[in-house]
Amino acid sequence: MTDFALSGPRPASGPRKASTVVGLIFLVASALIGGNAFGTRERLWGSETPTARAPAASRDVGAAAAAGGATETTAPAPPTQSVLRSQPWWQGVTTLDGAGTTTAATFTIVPGALQWRVRWTCDTGHLLVRAPSQTRPVVDAACPGPDVGYGARTGPITLQVTADGPWHLVVEQQVDVPLNEPPLAAMTAPGASVVARGSLYRIDQVGTGDVLVYRLPDGTYALRLDNFFVTANSDLEVQFSSLDAPHSTDQVAHATQVSVATLDVTTGSLNFMVPPSIDPVQYKSVVMWCEVQHSAYAAATLRPA
Amino acid sequence: MSAPTVAPAASRPHLTVGGQQIPVVLPNRRDPRLKLSAVIITLHVLGQTVLGFKVSIAQILVTMLVCGLIDAAVTFRSGRMLVWPASGILTGSSIAFILRASGTRHGDWWSLHGIQFFVLAGVISLLSKHLVRPTGRHLFNPSNVGIVWCLLVVGPNHVFAQYLWWGPNHAGVAFAYAVIAFGAFWILRSVRMIPMAVSFLATFAVLMGIFALVGRSFFAIWHVGPIQGLSYWATIALSPEVLVFVFFMISDPQTAPKVPSARVIYGAAVAVVAAALLFFQHTEFGIKVSILSSLTVVCAVVPFLEAAVRHRQLQRALAADGAGAGTDAPPEAEPPRVPVPSRPPLVTVLARLRRPAVAAAVVIALAAPVDTALLARNRQALLIERGEVGKANAQ
Repeated sequence: MTDFALSGPRPASGPRKASTVVGLIFLVASALIGGNAFGTRERLWGSETPTARAPAASRDVGAAAAAGGATETTAPAPPTQSVLRSQPWWQGVTTLDGAGTTTAATFTIVPGALQWRVRWTCDTGHLLVRAPSQTRPVVDAACPGPDVGYGARTGPITLQVTADGPWHLVVEQQVDVPLNEPPLAAMTAPGASVVARGSLYRIDQVGTGDVLVYRLPDGTYALRLDNFFVTANSDLEVQFSSLDAPHSTDQVAHATQVSVATLDVTTGSLNFMVPPSIDPVQYKSVVMWCEVQHSAYAAATLRPA
Repeated sequence: MSAPTVAPAASRPHLTVGGQQIPVVLPNRRDPRLKLSAVIITLHVLGQTVLGFKVSIAQILVTMLVCGLIDAAVTFRSGRMLVWPASGILTGSSIAFILRASGTRHGDWWSLHGIQFFVLAGVISLLSKHLVRPTGRHLFNPSNVGIVWCLLVVGPNHVFAQYLWWGPNHAGVAFAYAVIAFGAFWILRSVRMIPMAVSFLATFAVLMGIFALVGRSFFAIWHVGPIQGLSYWATIALSPEVLVFVFFMISDPQTAPKVPSARVIYGAAVAVVAAALLFFQHTEFGIKVSILSSLTVVCAVVPFLEAAVRHRQLQRALAADGAGAGTDAPPEAEPPRVPVPSRPPLVTVLARLRRPAVAAAVVIALAAPVDTALLARNRQALLIERGEVGKANAQ
């Protein structure tokens, strides 16, 4: 086989020389892109990785704004952006009350929201709720009754309510950003202490982060998951287990376990009040459990703090 | 221009175009490449029917066609002959066997989804074959370079290599293993590559065993949770994908050493480099690229390996001759002194870097392992393999 431009010892003509240079530049450029130098590969061809977004600071936008004056869903500055996504969860946006036909107060659905919903109640007649740019009404139902209507548009929303009597609307948006709750006030109050802590490890799925058990000044207990991530699923719960260091679903299933809370958010830093009927001191580990799959996703061995 | 006419069967096959006779070289039944094509096509058929390969028939055919046409055109340009492009077609078939475009669904037989990546890989393969020839013959395995280029440059967002695990259909996978084993024996025996394959497999199996014992693990999109322990070892060391790689890719006689003992070292070297690259990988994507890149790296040093082995053999032969001469010759006679050819010094190698083909080979040989190593910290690959990109299966 004859040698071509790159190999020949023959004197190179102008075009040959140019094509050789272009070929070598192409190779070097390929090497740089292949190594994703300066993020070139992802800039050029796009990314499957979710765009980094600011986590939510509260389960309720309105409460967060009232408490700290923060913007709707972003954590207090400086926001720590994250590419991790949680199992989609519902975040409270606002509550609207009224009677008869009216234009409700404007609320804002964040751009990254997957959808939003209105949980409504009314007493008499008919309730019709319309959102701008949405052909189908959000709610079109006879009263009395509680039910849910859905919307998809993001940004400022002003609902047009047509009703025959009083009505009550709870607006929530579904987001998949992490939830970074600050520690509860009682956790940092005088008399509160961390009684046990541990680090999550994988069992059937991915689980990372720290688990802290607080004894609060009033004698109750609270659980905090810090910098937490568990593989997303909609049916997870946090449990205490009698096992010291569970390493399989079978072990967890055959030990004493008690549910602390449903895990609607699967990424971030979260607080849970431990039900008064549970004494955390009796247990040796925390397990992220999926009842539907009957699977222990992750666990953390608790050690006295 | 007159219409092409086929010459009488009695004479050597040729076409007459515009009064000019163009020799035609047709496939030869004894060509080992035909055997290899038969094995790969059988595996393609299994992939399309029972193994759930995420590649379409259209993607396979287009890749083979593009590679065949480029190879035939280059051969015609250089030799004024129409040669059946067995190598080009095989390159295309190999690319389509390993490369996958994310989003292609199994059973979508005529989909051209992501066809640009297959064509790109084919073009790169044949460019490397016909342009990067520092020793007068192509240095790199064409399909290997094309696939590695595509996986690294296009990245895990759009392409991936066939899974190490070939699916839950045990009967189908067992049949595929049988085809691979039969094909390996059929082909490797004729090209005397069995010792090389054994050398690779033994070294690789031992190294993967050590990695499993020290707790290495990786994520794969088709698996729940990390793969570790015995599964780590079995998934990698016994993967049919790895067997195809060793039996049908690194055994290419054109790019493997010609000296039998060098072939054994070559097999072990590919295994060691693959292991070194994949040790730090956390994803199946990274592991597959590591294995493929190892061949790119080792192919680049094959001329040195061959020279070193030949040099050693010559030294031994001369020493044996000298010893023999010493016993047969009269005691006063000096054994003849034959100068032993020395290996090229580093200075000579560096001087050769001025040659574009050598420079290109060096860039490829350095970039492949470095870029592969960088995959170990690639967050996107990890998110995809862990299923954390918001899609159940981004591949």
